[in-house]
Amino acid sequence: MMNIKNMHAKIGDKEILKGLDLELQKGKIHVIMGTNGAGKSTLSKAIVGHYDVEVTQGEIIYKGKNLLEMEPEERALEGVFLSFQNPVEIPGVNNAYFLRNALNAKEKHHGQKETNAAEFLKLMRKHIEQLGMKPDMISRALNDGFSGGEKKRNEILQMEILQPEVIILDEIDSGLDIDALKSVSEGINRMKNGERTFLVITHYSRILDYIHPDYVHILQDGKIVKTGGPELVKILEAEGYQAVQKDL
Amino acid sequence: MQAVTLSLADARHPLYERLSELGIPGNKTEQYKNFAIKPLLAKEYAFKEAKQVEPKEGSRVVIENGVVVESPKNVKISFEEDFKADEEHYDALYFMSHVLSKSVIRLEIDADAVVEIEHRISEKERLFAYRLCVTTPPNGRVEIMETFDIKESQNALLLYGVDAEVARDATLRWVRHENAEIDNAVVIGSHRYNVAKQGAIELKTFDFGSGLALHLYKIDLDNYAWTDAQHLLLATKEARRGNVVHINHNQPYAKSVHEARAILKDKATGIFDGKIMVGHEAKYSNAKQNSKAILLGEHAHMYAKPQLEIYTDELEASHGSTIGQLEEETLFYLRSRGVGLDDAKKMLVLAFANTLIETLGEGEAFDKIHADFEAAYYV
Repeated sequence: MMNIKNMHAKIGDKEILKGLDLELQKGKIHVIMGTNGAGKSTLSKAIVGHYDVEVTQGEIIYKGKNLLEMEPEERALEGVFLSFQNPVEIPGVNNAYFLRNALNAKEKHHGQKETNAAEFLKLMRKHIEQLGMKPDMISRALNDGFSGGEKKRNEILQMEILQPEVIILDEIDSGLDIDALKSVSEGINRMKNGERTFLVITHYSRILDYIHPDYVHILQDGKIVKTGGPELVKILEAEGYQAVQKDL
Repeated sequence: MQAVTLSLADARHPLYERLSELGIPGNKTEQYKNFAIKPLLAKEYAFKEAKQVEPKEGSRVVIENGVVVESPKNVKISFEEDFKADEEHYDALYFMSHVLSKSVIRLEIDADAVVEIEHRISEKERLFAYRLCVTTPPNGRVEIMETFDIKESQNALLLYGVDAEVARDATLRWVRHENAEIDNAVVIGSHRYNVAKQGAIELKTFDFGSGLALHLYKIDLDNYAWTDAQHLLLATKEARRGNVVHINHNQPYAKSVHEARAILKDKATGIFDGKIMVGHEAKYSNAKQNSKAILLGEHAHMYAKPQLEIYTDELEASHGSTIGQLEEETLFYLRSRGVGLDDAKKMLVLAFANTLIETLGEGEAFDKIHADFEAAYYV
């Protein structure tokens, strides 16, 4: 589905990713865990083309093309979605207006009929209800004044409406209470269809109780140093990252 | 400018004396120094005093080349030669426009009326000078929508202004909507709004385009009087446009909220020179001033000068000013959802502008100004 080969990337003058290889399988849930500063968020930013990250070597092959040669919006239109750790607040841009624009851009890109305003509102209301969000999320400005939980739910709302093919969740579980974690996880589970691929970046195992990963990768000093199944999480929980260190 | 002949009696008139004191504005005159006034006033213009005629009945007040040609039923028009202008005004062109106008066009407006005033200029290389005087009835509410149709009038100068008296407990909402291209006449408006006890002036200006325009306001607030003054500027190409606004809190409990937003493209220059003065007598005043500008063009400039001048200790006051570009992180967020760069920029600029456009509320004015903003943005 997506093949990251020998990726080197830096932020400013500091090299963060140092020859990272990772193959994301179609329809699978991949989890990336690692210590602070290992390069987890840099990896997610590099995949979506964030201006902070300069990729100096390597490639990301997706649908037969090198993703690194595309603009951020082209990557999104091709189905790559990042749920941000800290989504920005944009006063004045209406949540529904923005999301309908994004959906229509995607439909146009794929030569589909654009969803009209009435159809879109119906769709948005349905997802808002499923996510346990307040109805006024439709008319509020994008993430403006949202609580941490509301912002994360809004990211999932966007994901459910835009129906991407590769979903990167960067610490989607941080700052969520149990109820919010549950509804966010349910949203993620609704998106599983055997075709869609997930890359979940997390520090904690609690979200994994809800979304059941297929692969767990340990990222250390800019490289994937170990790959395993869900059992790897239990080892990390019991022994910490030192357990991985011992194996290397 | 062509010489204007003055009699000895004229020269002793207080307006001439004030004009003489202040002098003809030049490049060093504070409120004009970013507007390049000198070459404008150095030009030769044909000038002929406008001969007022009985206006025909219409749906709005139309002033064509300085002559009132149309007026609606709910507005009574008269011409006043001995108008008492504000001798304390800070702007020389306020006095110059009064001196050149000879008579002031007085608009008496019914309470609760909504009136459109359209300025039409269609002649080239001429100086048009006239003044309007508007008085609101006590306890009444009057809404004015001021528009401009000044196409194909290169090298013309419109020097005009408004003297408005807002009566006790009355509200005047004045919306100025100006959409001007580089080939249009240059507009300089020098205004004075005097707000009586518990009166209010809502001043909303929407100024789009590539031409030259500067408006200078003096707003005087009495006891418990308030003003909500908002300015939205979208300047393109080589425009020089903006507002100079002095708000004076003269008595206790006066309140002012002053907000300016500017979007500057290409090589445009935006001007915001705002001063709120809270006098010795104006205890318990509330004064807020804010100016924000987005520079979209590499060679665009914004001159922002927010000022508070305070002579009393008992008040609430704040002011702030920011000038910058669209935030990269915000643009990236929109792009990461598939919105193209140009559309993302437009979305953010519209959001910035809508904060002020939406204060008009739903209706014809909102639709027109919103559409004109979008059209000017895409030039």
